[in-house]
Amino acid sequence: MEPIEKLLFILAGLPTTLAISILSFLLGMIIGIPLAFVRTYMSRPLQVLVDGYEKVLRGVPEIVTMLFLYFGVGSIPVLGQPFTDPFFAATFALGLRSGANQSQVFRGAIRGIGEEQMLSARSLGLSRLQAIFYVIAPQTFMIATPGLGSEYALLVKDSAYSFILGVIDMMRKADTLRKITYDMVFPYTVTAFLYIVLTFPLATYLDVWGSRKKKQLGL
Amino acid sequence: MTDIVLECRKLWKVYGKIAAVKDVSLEVREGDIKLIFGPSGSGKSTLARCLAMLTMPTKGDVFLTGECLTKPGVDLNKARAKIGFVFQHIWLFHHRTALGNVELALRHVLKLSKEEARERAMRALREVKMEEWANHYPAQLSGGQQQRVGIARALAKDPKIIILDEPTSALDPELTGEVIDTLRDLAKKGTTMLTISHEMPFAREVATEMIFFDEGTIVERGTPEHFFEHPSSERAKKFLARLIKRTRRE
Repeated sequence: MEPIEKLLFILAGLPTTLAISILSFLLGMIIGIPLAFVRTYMSRPLQVLVDGYEKVLRGVPEIVTMLFLYFGVGSIPVLGQPFTDPFFAATFALGLRSGANQSQVFRGAIRGIGEEQMLSARSLGLSRLQAIFYVIAPQTFMIATPGLGSEYALLVKDSAYSFILGVIDMMRKADTLRKITYDMVFPYTVTAFLYIVLTFPLATYLDVWGSRKKKQLGL
Repeated sequence: MTDIVLECRKLWKVYGKIAAVKDVSLEVREGDIKLIFGPSGSGKSTLARCLAMLTMPTKGDVFLTGECLTKPGVDLNKARAKIGFVFQHIWLFHHRTALGNVELALRHVLKLSKEEARERAMRALREVKMEEWANHYPAQLSGGQQQRVGIARALAKDPKIIILDEPTSALDPELTGEVIDTLRDLAKKGTTMLTISHEMPFAREVATEMIFFDEGTIVERGTPEHFFEHPSSERAKKFLARLIKRTRRE
């Protein structure tokens, strides 16, 4: 195989890697944002519940969560059915953990905004929900952007674990390439490089954008 | 009696064992400019926030144009929409321009159309002479300009009353003038106001009544003439003497 052929062979796994990363990132956001608001504004028992969720998901190795969902939850009749799909199980596992991480990112951002903005919004006659939607959330996103960048990078990297379940992503393609070509160096070197290309520029851009925005708005 | 805009009766606010507001009753009539002054930590801000129902009073009643706000089941969002509140530390929304700050409540509380909200917000900004700065973010404005936007934001809703919690005390001395000028303009237009302030020249000029507040309660009330010529309580006398000395130094 020519180097270019090898490269294309690995790149065939790129869409899957990206799909897992992006979908789990979105799932993490869908989970993380409400959790952050619950932990900031809701009653104590609910906060404890969210805290427990965060501790468990962040404490368990990613690969354990994946295997648990794929084999454990997947063995439940009917309800567990979707989890027998490796792609689904892997994405879901990453999304759950990302939810825990993003909850913390957003919570920190909400805290950075402070009670004053809420009070100020309420003084105008906005309801609590309106205040969250129009005043707190937009600022939260701006403050959270750098943190979200690193979270995205983490997901791209951790998506590589999904090859354990048999997902055919970049990692799996690289491994297969090693097996069929007996080339022990090229596949992993190139794959490592590709992961850096996927993560570094975007994470850096978000970090710079977020920091500049924060400075501009005095957040 | 129908011209009473805002009134509180036997109002208390208690935090744990500390009473921040003790048994306060007062009323603001249409066109009134009430000025509350007194030492820091005396509970003035807490009283102002209770009147706007931003802090729930522990006991007692608040009435806005005759409607009791302290009984259960009242739509407080609706009530707050009729009160303009200006904070000591301004607290504009960082992520919105001056215009965006003023527009927000018009769009989402008063539910005006986009065009209508824009027009009214611009009118409010014009009133505080901030029209040219409409598209600037708060961080790009000076403290005085920010506070004028804060006043425009409270004013744009066309509230029954504006409550101002020390609107100039967080500003550098050279910036208080422009905010006081704005308030003077409002006073001349007959805006009903309740303001906490230690700007004594302003008080003398526009206040219809001055209220000396200390240790959570009203100690003395009267016209500016009364306070500047012959305040009756010892505490008010001392406090005023100190204030006037400080004003002269500046």
